[in-house]
Amino acid sequence: MGYRTVLAAVVAMVFVGPRAALAQAPSHKIVVESPTMKTGETMAKEYTPDGRNISPPMTWSNLPRGTRQIAVVCEDFDAGTPPPWVHWIIYKIPPTATGLPANLPIDTAAPMPSEIAGAVHGYNGWRRPMYRGPAPPAGKPHLYHFVVYALDAALDLPPRLTRAELHDALKGRIIGQGEMVPTYQRN
Amino acid sequence: MSDEQPRIISRRDLLRGVSIAALAAAAPASLDGALDSAAAPAEAVQQTATSAVRREAYENLTAVEADTLEAIVARLIPTDANGPGATEARAVHYIDRALGGALASSRQAYSAGFAAFDRYCRMTRGGPFVELSTTDQDSVLIDVESGSATGSGAGFSGSSAQFFGMVLNHTRQGTFGDPYYGGNANYVGWDLIGYPGVRTSVSAADQQLMEKGALKPNHRSAYDNEMFNKATARNGHGEHQHGD
Repeated sequence: MGYRTVLAAVVAMVFVGPRAALAQAPSHKIVVESPTMKTGETMAKEYTPDGRNISPPMTWSNLPRGTRQIAVVCEDFDAGTPPPWVHWIIYKIPPTATGLPANLPIDTAAPMPSEIAGAVHGYNGWRRPMYRGPAPPAGKPHLYHFVVYALDAALDLPPRLTRAELHDALKGRIIGQGEMVPTYQRN
Repeated sequence: MSDEQPRIISRRDLLRGVSIAALAAAAPASLDGALDSAAAPAEAVQQTATSAVRREAYENLTAVEADTLEAIVARLIPTDANGPGATEARAVHYIDRALGGALASSRQAYSAGFAAFDRYCRMTRGGPFVELSTTDQDSVLIDVESGSATGSGAGFSGSSAQFFGMVLNHTRQGTFGDPYYGGNANYVGWDLIGYPGVRTSVSAADQQLMEKGALKPNHRSAYDNEMFNKATARNGHGEHQHGD
């Protein structure tokens, strides 16, 4: 293996690897939307610590046939050491769900809404099992990837998985994915 | 002479004296309030007087700061199925007293921190901390703890996490420290963590009970001990320093 090949591999690991870690690029594309957010547009303060910092509502459609479970992750590839910084991990979402309602509980003892009963939170970058919105340093806007994964199995996963643990658990199980990428900036 | 005072007046007497003084200090204020509203119905006047007596007289914190801090500590170490929390331990009483003594260097950080904290609550949740739901209170504290509140424009000096860390540290001191310093009232903090109390000697039987978690707490401050109080500690230290 030549020097250039090794260098290219390192560059790929550093700049491409993390972004592609959970995404296994399945061909089936899920349509991800929100009544309050759009790709390329600024997120409302309500979903950030500059507002109430509640989780945003999301919807999805065009799930692949054979979907048995759904997982959602929100990540910022412009932050974290190494990137990405994880804002939200929620999984064990039943395949009947067509989205996530806003303002999911931050109290781990509180039940999830009935339409996503059984769903659990994983740890975000602050080591808390809940949604925490964007809080980027002042300067340039950051991109927030809200990614929906369709899984081909009803995985019996414990709550509070880290991103790496979820990554391992989802290996070979992702049969569809889609994302919405709103932005946020502080001045 | 003043160094010998703790030997003569017990810690409990001292605290009782402080409480009476606090109530006495509160009384004129309540009477002033009653006189100002002379036209008010007697019932309302009675209510004002009662609430004034209920409010603790703080030495260093303002009333608004104390109310905010009471609400904060109630979420940090809450009263729940595990037992009493920071409220019952009177952690705020400890912090208030300490800000006039051992923690005096933190007074400015509290003033600035409370101002930024209040601005943050109003800007992001629409009201002061004491008026928020417990869910919103927890959400605010998480944002302040994580440092996410720092860039919000509320004006935290440095990271909001520094303010949170200071308050949490002092809340722990006020809940689990020696009651001599004004917190851990009725030893609720020590009972909460199963600490059996300061002992100058532990017998084999005591040790066996302790290992089983069955040693009855003695509910004594270190300064309740005849052999060790602040005065003797200071005297002992001074004698040693001079090589006597």
